[in-house]
Amino acid sequence: MAKMSEYAFVAAMLSTGLATIFYFMYAVSGLRAARMQTAGAQMTAGLSLVSGPRTAAIGRYATMLGWLATVAMLASLVFRAIATGHGPFANMYEFSMAFAFGILAASMWFERRYNQRILALIALPVALAMMLYASTIPAEIEPLVPALQNNLLLTVHVAVAIVAYGSFAIAFAAALLYLIQPEGGRWGLPKPQVLDEIAYRAVVVGFPFLTLTIILGAIWADTAWGTYWSWDPKETASLVTWLIYGAFLHARVMRGWRGNRAAWLLVIGFGATLFTYFGNLFFGGLHSYAGLG
Amino acid sequence: MAHEVRTRPLPPTAAQAEATPGPTIMDRVDAVLEGLWHFLASMRFAMVLILALAFLGLIGSLIIQAPPGVLADPTGEQKQQWLNEIGQMGVPVVTWLHGLPVIGSVVPDLRYKDVARPFDTLQLFQIFNSIYFRVVVAALVISTVACSVHRIPGMIRTATKPRIDVAPGFFEHAPQHEAIVVRRSPAETRSILEATLAGKRYRTLGVESDGAVSLYADRWRWAPFAGLVGHLSIVVILAGGIVGATMGYRESQFTIAEGATLPVAAEPGVTIQLLDFTDTYDTRTGAPSDYASTVVLYKDGTEVDRHVIRVNDPLRYGDTTFYQAFFGSAAVVTVKDATGATILSEGVPLAWRTTNDNRPIGSVSIPGTDNVAWIYGTNGAGDTSIAPGQVRMEVYNGDGASVGEALLDQGKAGTVAGLTATFERESQFTGLNIGRDPGVGLVWLGSFLLFGGFVIRFTMPHKRLWARIVPRPNGAVVGVASLGSKEVALGTEFESLVNDIRQALAAPAGS
Ligand code: HEM
Repeated sequence: MAKMSEYAFVAAMLSTGLATIFYFMYAVSGLRAARMQTAGAQMTAGLSLVSGPRTAAIGRYATMLGWLATVAMLASLVFRAIATGHGPFANMYEFSMAFAFGILAASMWFERRYNQRILALIALPVALAMMLYASTIPAEIEPLVPALQNNLLLTVHVAVAIVAYGSFAIAFAAALLYLIQPEGGRWGLPKPQVLDEIAYRAVVVGFPFLTLTIILGAIWADTAWGTYWSWDPKETASLVTWLIYGAFLHARVMRGWRGNRAAWLLVIGFGATLFTYFGNLFFGGLHSYAGLG
Repeated sequence: MAHEVRTRPLPPTAAQAEATPGPTIMDRVDAVLEGLWHFLASMRFAMVLILALAFLGLIGSLIIQAPPGVLADPTGEQKQQWLNEIGQMGVPVVTWLHGLPVIGSVVPDLRYKDVARPFDTLQLFQIFNSIYFRVVVAALVISTVACSVHRIPGMIRTATKPRIDVAPGFFEHAPQHEAIVVRRSPAETRSILEATLAGKRYRTLGVESDGAVSLYADRWRWAPFAGLVGHLSIVVILAGGIVGATMGYRESQFTIAEGATLPVAAEPGVTIQLLDFTDTYDTRTGAPSDYASTVVLYKDGTEVDRHVIRVNDPLRYGDTTFYQAFFGSAAVVTVKDATGATILSEGVPLAWRTTNDNRPIGSVSIPGTDNVAWIYGTNGAGDTSIAPGQVRMEVYNGDGASVGEALLDQGKAGTVAGLTATFERESQFTGLNIGRDPGVGLVWLGSFLLFGGFVIRFTMPHKRLWARIVPRPNGAVVGVASLGSKEVALGTEFESLVNDIRQALAAPAGS
């Protein structure tokens, strides 16, 4: 089962890579079509990438590959869970796989729901980076240390977290697409209202899920250590992330904060998400020193 | 009022001048208070505070924070020692930044040893106890409450007394609007409209004036209050934290050796006995796989509970919970007095470390005296002063003066301060974290309300729709309008509603 998981993981990584290439070709082809259309002075207020027949075909392939990657990643996680007997929370290898799956799934779901292929152009490379990172970590299955022996709670904690992280990756993608063309309509990219809507929808999913992630983390800490909150760097970073997305939800209804500043909050928010995620590495040194006294 | 006074065209008469200052000051105070209120309840202020809190959190996760025990020490000695230690280590302040390719070379190579004192003065090692943190959190609570209170009347009005007859112009200028021409009587049109909306679970309210019918329809009108609950739950969580910190009890360093029975300070009359502590390791990787303390609880001498405490499986008794926290070696010693009577025979947890040579050390009071025995353990093979199989015992009297010491070989009796002491064998102790937190219920309640409140707020937006039926020869014109944000990406709910209404109105009569 562990081997099957690794094969599925490699398959997922390859299809994500290929999908990224196809999404890129799709964007370039759409860009060319957009330029031709502009040159033909035939401005239509299209919502999505201007699509010629060729662009559409490439896009379909990209989407198929994206789904393939998602399914392969899911299979890899399931095989791994069967092999280990627990959810993907034992180490950074497992959690990075889960994170990558979260981004893939969120990307495909939002693409389907909002008919915006271009989001994946930003989201998929992030997922790919996660997978590449995971592939540098030994995949060996090791027994759980006592603190992690809380299978149900930690599995739910991680499952909820990856929904939040995946959604935030989509909000980040939408924010970037907004920031490179705030006036909208450039390069055949989606209009600002569309991007704003997608980003908001993504945060509306991600924010409650992050809230739940933090609460479940607190419940676990309370069960394992007897303190639900101890300002551990990872806890603190997750709270900072939560506050930034809270700020975004406010920014969206405040004069002077809508648009650019709100989009920047999403970029910073995703930065905070990654910071929280990689916290273990960053704070690794600090953690051991914090045991002093 | 103040305004009126100032614009009075003629100078006031003496009597008026006497009369006016009172109200003027009151009015000013009123104006200032009102301005303050609006400031506190403003989203701009909230935004500044949320970002300020996030910034403090960022600092707190980057800069090493002093452990709570260090800060709790009233003498401040532990903190001085801690500052010295982080200073001596020369640890870079932001380790991981220096590991990054480009940024690493730009960031100044600050080391704790250079900044320990100024950082301490600025309370940077205790951000979450700092004055900044307290001020920001307090302001956020005030702002959240002010904002909520400020919005409640309007929210109640929106839910219970909505405007039904909006101006006709609204149906041309609302963000979403549509006009439908029908060949039905206004009354018939109205009932079809109401039935269609009711089918979509909207409630409708209507009034007639000048022959035109104004309708208001809405759904989930109470859901905005869930957002309010979500906001106020933050206050509930903080209240839980404060209750726990002020009224809770915690003994995070409770040590007990195998075989020993000790009183539990948190629960009067209760004692705890450690039957066994086992630490298990994975044979392949050497990583720990289990820490288990088998304990028995007695209340007034009778057994009331028995449990194997593990890291994720604490023992709960009454309001008190016992968590597995740490463990270590213990020395079983027997002490006999001059008559040969055994006055002490128990495991002494060597739970501390000496500062100079990092040696395990523990203490035990000698019954019937003021004396305290300190037991020093070995540092392992290669330790020349206390070899494996030996402990050193030092006895101090109530004034802290040394009254005797001896190096004890395992199994051989030695003499210390007129007593016969034997180091029987090595065993283990377990370290428990014993706590009672009366605030934790509030924290979970607040968490539940926080999550539930925002989920309801997000999944059930208050949807509002206005319609106006204006009679016409042979029928009527129906204007439908909504304030809802245009969901550009998806076909909007408004459009589909209007479609349904259109279809219902177009259907042949009587069907
Ligand atoms: C840590 C503090 C806070 C957090 C995490 C937070 C979070 C949120 C969230 C998640 C929302 C969106 C859900 C909803 O509309 O109910 C929201 C909306 C809102 N918040 Fe806060 N909030 C905080 C403090 C405040 C404060 C102090 C104010 C007072 C000015 C405030 C005013 C509002 C308002 C007026 C809305 C409604 C926006 C709309 O119409 O959609 N919030 N907040």
